[in-house]
Amino acid sequence: MTSLTNSRDFVRQSKLDLAPQRRISGFWQVIRIDPVLLLGLLLLCLYGLFILYSATDGDVETVRRQAIAMCVGFGVMAGMAQLNIQFYRRWAPSAYVAGLVVLGLVLLIGVDKNGARSWLDLPGLPSFQPSELLKFIVPMLVAWYLGSRPMPPSFKHIFWAGLITLIPAGLIILQNDTGTALMVTMSGIFVLLLAGLRWRIVFAGLVAAIIASPVWYLFLALPHQKNRILTFFDPYLDPTGAGYNIIQSQIAIGSGGLYGKGYGNGAQSHLDFIPESNTDFILAVLAEEFGLLGVLLLVALYLFVIIRGANIALNAADMFGRLLAGSLTLTFFLYLFVNMGMVTGLLPVIGLPLPLISRGGTAVVTLFIGFGLLMSIQMRSGGRSAR
Amino acid sequence: MTGKWQLKDREEERRLFANRLLIAMIIVASLFVALTLKLFNLQVTQYDYFASRADGNRLHSQFVPPARGLIYDRSGQLLADNQPIFNLSIVRERIEDLDETLALIASLIELSEEEVSQFKERLLRRRVPFSSVPLRFVLSEDEKARIAVNAYRLPGVSIDPQFVRTYPFDDLNAHALGYVSEINRDELDLFDEEMRENYGGTNHIGKSGVERTYEELLHGEVGYEVVEKNNRGQVMRRLERTDPVAGHNLTLYLENRLQQVAHDALGEHRGAVVAIDPSTGGILAMVSKPGFDPNLFVTGISSKDYSALVTDNINTPLFDRSVNPYPPASTVKPFIGLAGLQHGFTDRDTVIQDPGYFRLPGVRYRWGDYTLRTAIGGGHGETNLQRAIYQSCDTFFYDLGYRMGIETIHSFLSQFGFGQNFALDVGYARTGVLPSKDWKKRTRNEPWYPGDTINSSIGQGYMWATPLQLATATAIVANKGKVVRPRMLAAVDGVPFEPSESMLMPDVQIDDAENWRYIEDSMTMVVHRPYSDVFRDYGTAYEAIARSDRDMAYKMAGKSGSAQVVSIDQDILQSTDIDVSDLNKDHALFIAYGPAQHPSIEPQIAVAVFVENGQHGSSVAGPVAKAVIDAYLLDILQIDFTAFEEDPDALLSLTSEQVFEDLDHAGHDHD
Repeated sequence: MTSLTNSRDFVRQSKLDLAPQRRISGFWQVIRIDPVLLLGLLLLCLYGLFILYSATDGDVETVRRQAIAMCVGFGVMAGMAQLNIQFYRRWAPSAYVAGLVVLGLVLLIGVDKNGARSWLDLPGLPSFQPSELLKFIVPMLVAWYLGSRPMPPSFKHIFWAGLITLIPAGLIILQNDTGTALMVTMSGIFVLLLAGLRWRIVFAGLVAAIIASPVWYLFLALPHQKNRILTFFDPYLDPTGAGYNIIQSQIAIGSGGLYGKGYGNGAQSHLDFIPESNTDFILAVLAEEFGLLGVLLLVALYLFVIIRGANIALNAADMFGRLLAGSLTLTFFLYLFVNMGMVTGLLPVIGLPLPLISRGGTAVVTLFIGFGLLMSIQMRSGGRSAR
Repeated sequence: MTGKWQLKDREEERRLFANRLLIAMIIVASLFVALTLKLFNLQVTQYDYFASRADGNRLHSQFVPPARGLIYDRSGQLLADNQPIFNLSIVRERIEDLDETLALIASLIELSEEEVSQFKERLLRRRVPFSSVPLRFVLSEDEKARIAVNAYRLPGVSIDPQFVRTYPFDDLNAHALGYVSEINRDELDLFDEEMRENYGGTNHIGKSGVERTYEELLHGEVGYEVVEKNNRGQVMRRLERTDPVAGHNLTLYLENRLQQVAHDALGEHRGAVVAIDPSTGGILAMVSKPGFDPNLFVTGISSKDYSALVTDNINTPLFDRSVNPYPPASTVKPFIGLAGLQHGFTDRDTVIQDPGYFRLPGVRYRWGDYTLRTAIGGGHGETNLQRAIYQSCDTFFYDLGYRMGIETIHSFLSQFGFGQNFALDVGYARTGVLPSKDWKKRTRNEPWYPGDTINSSIGQGYMWATPLQLATATAIVANKGKVVRPRMLAAVDGVPFEPSESMLMPDVQIDDAENWRYIEDSMTMVVHRPYSDVFRDYGTAYEAIARSDRDMAYKMAGKSGSAQVVSIDQDILQSTDIDVSDLNKDHALFIAYGPAQHPSIEPQIAVAVFVENGQHGSSVAGPVAKAVIDAYLLDILQIDFTAFEEDPDALLSLTSEQVFEDLDHAGHDHD
C-alpha cells in the first residue's frame, strides 16, 4: 500500500519537477496573478457588459457603472492576490470574530434595504453588507479548523465546524436575509464535504433535509416562500402574480430558440415583459437574443472558471488552501446555478443575481474577493497546475 | 487508537480531497447537463409554442376605423366634418384593480360618476379582448399632460386620438342632417356578423336624419393592423396594416344659406320650413325649430343636457316638425279646386253665392266660414274658384268637396303625395292622413259621414299632412303635374345620384292644361292681388307679402292656411255655427313657389312653412316663405328679374285700377 502510494507520488512529483521549465512566464509569478483565471473572468465580464447593454435598452450609464465596478473588482482581486494565503490563514480566526461583531452591530444599527436589515451605513465608509464578507470568512475559518485536523473529520470536528458556520448564518437570518444565510451555510458545508465528511453522515443529512422540508413548508415558511414553491411546480396557478415572472421568462427563453432573435431584438425584454430583466432575470434576455448557443457559451465560460478553480484547489499547497479554494469554487457554481435554475424554471424563485452578468456593482466586487483568494492560493502552490 | 487517528496522513487526505473534488465536479457537470437539457427543452423542443406565446404577448391585431364620409351642402359647404379629439381609454385586461385605477384617474382629471358608469356599461358589451374602452372623451391639453406625466402609474390606460363628427353649424341642420352617437346594445344586436366586424373599430353610428339614412354609405370599411405592444399595452410600432376605406362623401341638395334664412325667418316661433327644387325634388331646406346641438350627442350627451332636451314639453327640440303631420287647413284648397276642375264638379267660371256658411241639404247645422269669423259678417257673395282660392272662401270648398265626395278627393290628392311618404331618402318622415271611407273604417271602425268630407275639403278634420308633404305637393303644382319625389342626396363622391326609373311616380294628369295655369293664377293672386274697392277681393297674403315689398322682382304663388283653436274668441267657441275640432290647433301654414307666371323662368323653389301656434297663415307664415324664396331666387340663384319686366297690373283682372290703401284691414290678415 505504501509503495503504491509512493510510486504514484513519485510520478506526480517528477511531473511537477519538470513543470517550471514549461511554465508560461515568470511575469505572472511576479505580479501574482493567475493568467488562466484572469482570462476566464475577463471574458465573462465582457460578455456580461455586452448582455447588460441590451438588457438595459442601451443605457450607457448603467453599463459604464458596471464596467467601473468590474475594474474595481479586478483591482480588489489583484490586491487580495498579493497577500500570501498563509496570511489569510493566520488571520482567519480574528476576521471571524470581527465578522460576528459587525453582524451584531448590523442587528443594532443596520439599515433596511429591500426588506433585509443587512446594510451597515457607517459615516466615512460606503454602505456595505457585512454578511457578504462572511461568505469568505466562514469557509476560511472552517478550512482553517478542519485543515489542521485529521480527515475525514470526527463528530467533534463536525460539530465545531457546524457551529462556526451556523452562528453567522443565524445572525444573517435575524437580518431577514435568508438567501445570504443559505449561501454562507453552504460555503461551510462545502468545506465539510470536501474534507471528506463521511457518506453516512452526508446521506443522513440529506434524509433529514428531505424529512424536514415538509415541516419547514408547513410551519416555518413565510407566505411568499410558499408561493414560490407552489409556482415552481405550476406557474400557471397565478399567471399574473407570483407565476408571472417565471412564465414571462420561460416565454423569453423558449422564443429565443437555438440561435436567438439577435442582439437588441428581444421583444420580451425590450417590451418590458421580463421583470428584473437586467438583474435576476438577465439570463432570459441572453437566451432570447442569443438562443441556446448564447447560453451555452456563457455556461462554457462559467465552466472554464470553475474548472480552473477546481484545478487551483487540487494543486493547493496545503489542506487549508485546498478546502478554501474548493469551497469558493463550489459556492461560485452554486450562485450561478441557482440563478440559472430559477430563470429556466428548474428551481424555485430565489432572488440571486447571475454572477458577473447581472447589474449590481457590490455583488461584482464581492465576487472578486473570492477570486483574489483563489489567486493567492494558486501563487502559494508555486503556480502548480494540471497543465 | 485515537493517537493513530490524530496523525495526519497528508497523502491519504490529499487523495480523499481529490476524490471529493472529483465527485463535486461530476455533480457540477451533471447539473450543467440538466440545465442544458432544460434549456434544450425550452428553446428547441418547445420553441414553436413559446415563439407564438411571445408573439401573442406583443402582437395585437386591432381594427382601424374608417373615416366617416363628409357631408356637404349643394354649394360645397361642409355640414358634417371629422375633427380629432383625444380620449382616455382603458384596456381592462391590463388592469389589476379597476377601482384603484379609476380613483387614481379621478384624482388627476375630472371624472364624473356618470362617465364611470357609462364606462362600466361599455365594458359589459361584446368586445375584442384587450381592446381599449373609452372612459373620458375630449381631454383638454392640460388633462392630456397630467395623464401623460402619470402614465407610469397607469398601466393599461392610454390616450387615444380619435376623429369624431363635428357639425359646424350646431343646431341649424340638426334635424335634417341628424347626428351620430355611440352605438348602443340594441343596434349591435341587430348587426349580422359581417356588420359587427365592419364596426369593430367604430364607436359611432348615425342616429337620425341623413346620418342615419346613409349610414351605409358614410361608414366606410374597417381596416386592420397588427401592432406591437409593451407590457403596459402601449403601442410600440405598427407591423402590418390593411388601410380602412373611408366612407363616401355626400353632397346634399340642402342649401345651408337657405337653412339659415329659414331659421332666422322663423324667429322665436316653433315651426318648420321645407323648401324643394321642383325640377328635381331636391330638398333645399328642411328646418325644424327649435333645433338642438347635435355635437352634444357625439361624445356622449350628459344626462343633464339630455333631460333639458327631453323635458321641454312645449319646445320639444328633439322633435322634427318638418316631417310631422298637422292639419293642412286652407293650403289644400288649390288641390281640391284642381280636383273639382279635373272631375267636372266645377269649372273656371262657375260662381256660387256665398252666404258665409254651408248647410247640407235638409240639415240645419251650418258649417261656418272660418276665415270670416271675426270679420264684418256675411259671406263673400258671388264667388268663383279663383276668388275662393285667393280669398280662401270655405263655403265654396264645402260645397265643392261635398259634391265630389271623399273618394274623389282621396284619389286625386294622393297623386300629390298626401297620405304617403313620397320622399326617397327621408324614410323617417310621417305619412300624415289622406282620409277615405276605407281608411276611417279600418282605423276607427266608424262609417264615413258627409260632415267628414266637408271638414276634409278645407284640410281639417281627419286630413293631416307634414310640411314636407305640403312642399312636395306645392312643387308638383309648380311643375304643372310633373311629380318629383323629395330627396336629400344629390351626389356621392361628386357623382350625381339619379333615382332609378322604378322610383318615379306617374305625373298628375289634368285634361285641360289651362286649369294648371288657372290654379297658378289663383295662387299668385293670393300673394299679389291688391286691395280694391270691391268688397273682399284682395289676396289673403297681399298685405303681408306683396304690399310689404312693393318692388318685389318676381311673382310668387302661394296659399295660406290656419288651423285655429287656441286663440279663438270666446264667443266663437260658444257659437253653434262652428265645429271646433280638438285637432285644430292654432297653427299657421303657408305654401308657396316662385317665380310664378313667368314667361321664361320655370318655378325654381317650392316652400311649405309651418308655424306652431303662429295664428295667421298669411301674416306669420307667409313672410317666412317669402324670405326663403327671396333668398333662393335673388341671393343664391341670383336671377335678374328686371330683365323680364312685365305688366304689374295683370293681376287686377276683376275690376278697379284703384287700390284702397286706407281701407280698414281688420280682417285682412285672415286667410
